[in-house]
Amino acid sequence: MTSPGLVPLPPVPGRILDAQLHLLDRQVLDHDGVPVTTVDDLELSGPDIGAEIPQGTPAPVLDALLTGPVLGTRIFGGRPPQSRLIRIPWKDVADVGVVVRLGVGGEGLDASWVERWVRDRIIARIPGGRHDPR
Amino acid sequence: MKRLLGVALGVLTAIGGFVDIGDLVTNAVVGSRFGLSLVWVVGVGVLGICLFANMSGRVAAASGRATFEVIRERLGPRAGLANLSASFLINLMTVTAEIGGVALALQLASSVHYLLWIPVAAVAVWLVIWRVKFSIMENVTGLLGLTLIVFAVALFLLKPDWGVLAGQALAPAVPAEETAPTYWYFAIALFGAAMTPYEVFFFSSGAVEEGWTVKDLVQSRINVLVGFPLGGLLSVAIAGCAAVVLLPAGISVTSLSQVILPVAEGAGKLGLAFVLVGVVAATFGAALETTLSSGYTLAQFFGWSWGKFRRPAQAARFHLAMIICMLVGIGVLATGVDPVLVTEYSVVFSAIALPLTYLPILIVSNDPQYMGKHVNGRAVNVLAMVYLVIILVASVAAIPLMIVTGAGA
Amino acid sequence: MILGDLLGIPVLDSDGGRLGKAADVRFVLDGAPHQLMSEARMLGIVVSPHSAASFLGYERTNLTQPWPLAYLLQWRHRGSFLVLWEDIALIRKDAVRLRPGFTRYSPALEDLDQGH
Repeated sequence: MTSPGLVPLPPVPGRILDAQLHLLDRQVLDHDGVPVTTVDDLELSGPDIGAEIPQGTPAPVLDALLTGPVLGTRIFGGRPPQSRLIRIPWKDVADVGVVVRLGVGGEGLDASWVERWVRDRIIARIPGGRHDPR
Repeated sequence: MKRLLGVALGVLTAIGGFVDIGDLVTNAVVGSRFGLSLVWVVGVGVLGICLFANMSGRVAAASGRATFEVIRERLGPRAGLANLSASFLINLMTVTAEIGGVALALQLASSVHYLLWIPVAAVAVWLVIWRVKFSIMENVTGLLGLTLIVFAVALFLLKPDWGVLAGQALAPAVPAEETAPTYWYFAIALFGAAMTPYEVFFFSSGAVEEGWTVKDLVQSRINVLVGFPLGGLLSVAIAGCAAVVLLPAGISVTSLSQVILPVAEGAGKLGLAFVLVGVVAATFGAALETTLSSGYTLAQFFGWSWGKFRRPAQAARFHLAMIICMLVGIGVLATGVDPVLVTEYSVVFSAIALPLTYLPILIVSNDPQYMGKHVNGRAVNVLAMVYLVIILVASVAAIPLMIVTGAGA
Repeated sequence: MILGDLLGIPVLDSDGGRLGKAADVRFVLDGAPHQLMSEARMLGIVVSPHSAASFLGYERTNLTQPWPLAYLLQWRHRGSFLVLWEDIALIRKDAVRLRPGFTRYSPALEDLDQGH
């Protein structure tokens, strides 16, 4: 698929992931396979917007998966304030395939606070809410 | 022997579960106005739903991912959100129609006004979703829905002129009292009734609910390829009954009682009892499926934990979303809007929304990252592309035809 | 920086001429190894001259089925190329500017070590 005039990329020592193709909008499962959220956006460590990048600056790294209200801003534009971002740090990610698997359980994550809230305030209050259907 | 019973159960459930309020009303309306001249559309629709269910079931079994997760991931968040809004609203419309259908059927059985049955029906639907195991729910409603075979029985007992019926079906023509635009409008409605999107959301999510793997694909293929066409024959029987009893008498279908009138005429009180059981079971089953589908679509788009196989406490937002949907459905029905009218619109809108759901499934079923070696074969792809064109044409033509014909008046 | 800000914005060469839009951002997992996965370092940006939305990645993989769709999407993304981080001079809110003499690399994925 190499078009004429394009230089083939020299081999890189590591796995390639394209943000839109492999990461964005993928389901995130915790290490038990329970869905946590979807990847709504990604946070990078740099560079500063609007500043000239000096030659030789190391490339930015992927800091965290983002979820929550950032979906709205990704679709419609704008951005939520830094403090409102719901992050899943990259170090919690165990594998990226058809879904993104985390190496940690979903309970402790910021990303699952809405689920926990609905569970504790509403669903658990209805009789039978904790009943196992199996 | 156990395998055989399992296969039989799967097929019977597929047949009984095929017909919902959309099929009941649309086939009866079409039969009462066009005779059997639109039967070919049922054939096209059944083949389409077989194709569609097969692909989405294969995607779910091979990759463990259900339809709406795939839609968002393939189309991106903007198109995915547009898709979700449209699919969800139409689904909500269908939920309303189905709960209304249950209430109407109970009214026919009991002479208690249907508005009083609506909260009963909704609570019953919710209780089953809350507590009853997925497979039990499917099997019971599917098997009870088989009583709708009484439509076919009644058709025989009515001793129709088979030659006339066959002539209408095999040499389709627009009847003298109707116009070409109305003919095509109802063709689209019938198509939408056979290929409703919620069936695909439900089918693929159900595959994940029941933990299907590639080993179960053979069973699923049998269910689909045997069950759905036989279910389609039930639809044709409904239209046939209407064609034989309602068309000559010029009776138009405005409520559920006209739909089952031919059965009462052909098979008497016993037939009436059977058809009422069948209608309640079919619409109740469909109400369960559409309500679950509304939960599935939202949960899969936003990445929530979902599934009846999980404790409600472990799928909290999923269950909350469904409760809200049912409350909205009750609210809409409480305004006194005619559920039959809601049904007639919901099938046309379903036809309009089909391309949104169909295209991502088609694309993902070709992607080796999801499917491994179970990607579409050549023949399936060719058929799928043909259907893509049919679905696009139907979707684009629906609104103009609706305007020109005044929604089929 | 948030990735969503970068996707879809115009990519300019050093003289300000328009090359296309940022369709995707490529990362390579060759950073410091953590407990589970290595750090993901930004490798570069995939630029598409004709269309902002990177629809399904057909232009980068070998997927040719279903035939008419694949053909249509590959045509829509014809001329896509990859530019590396080293060739990026400036990222603004509304555009990316590249350094003079940047190299256009092939964005194809199947030639590379995917590490699955």
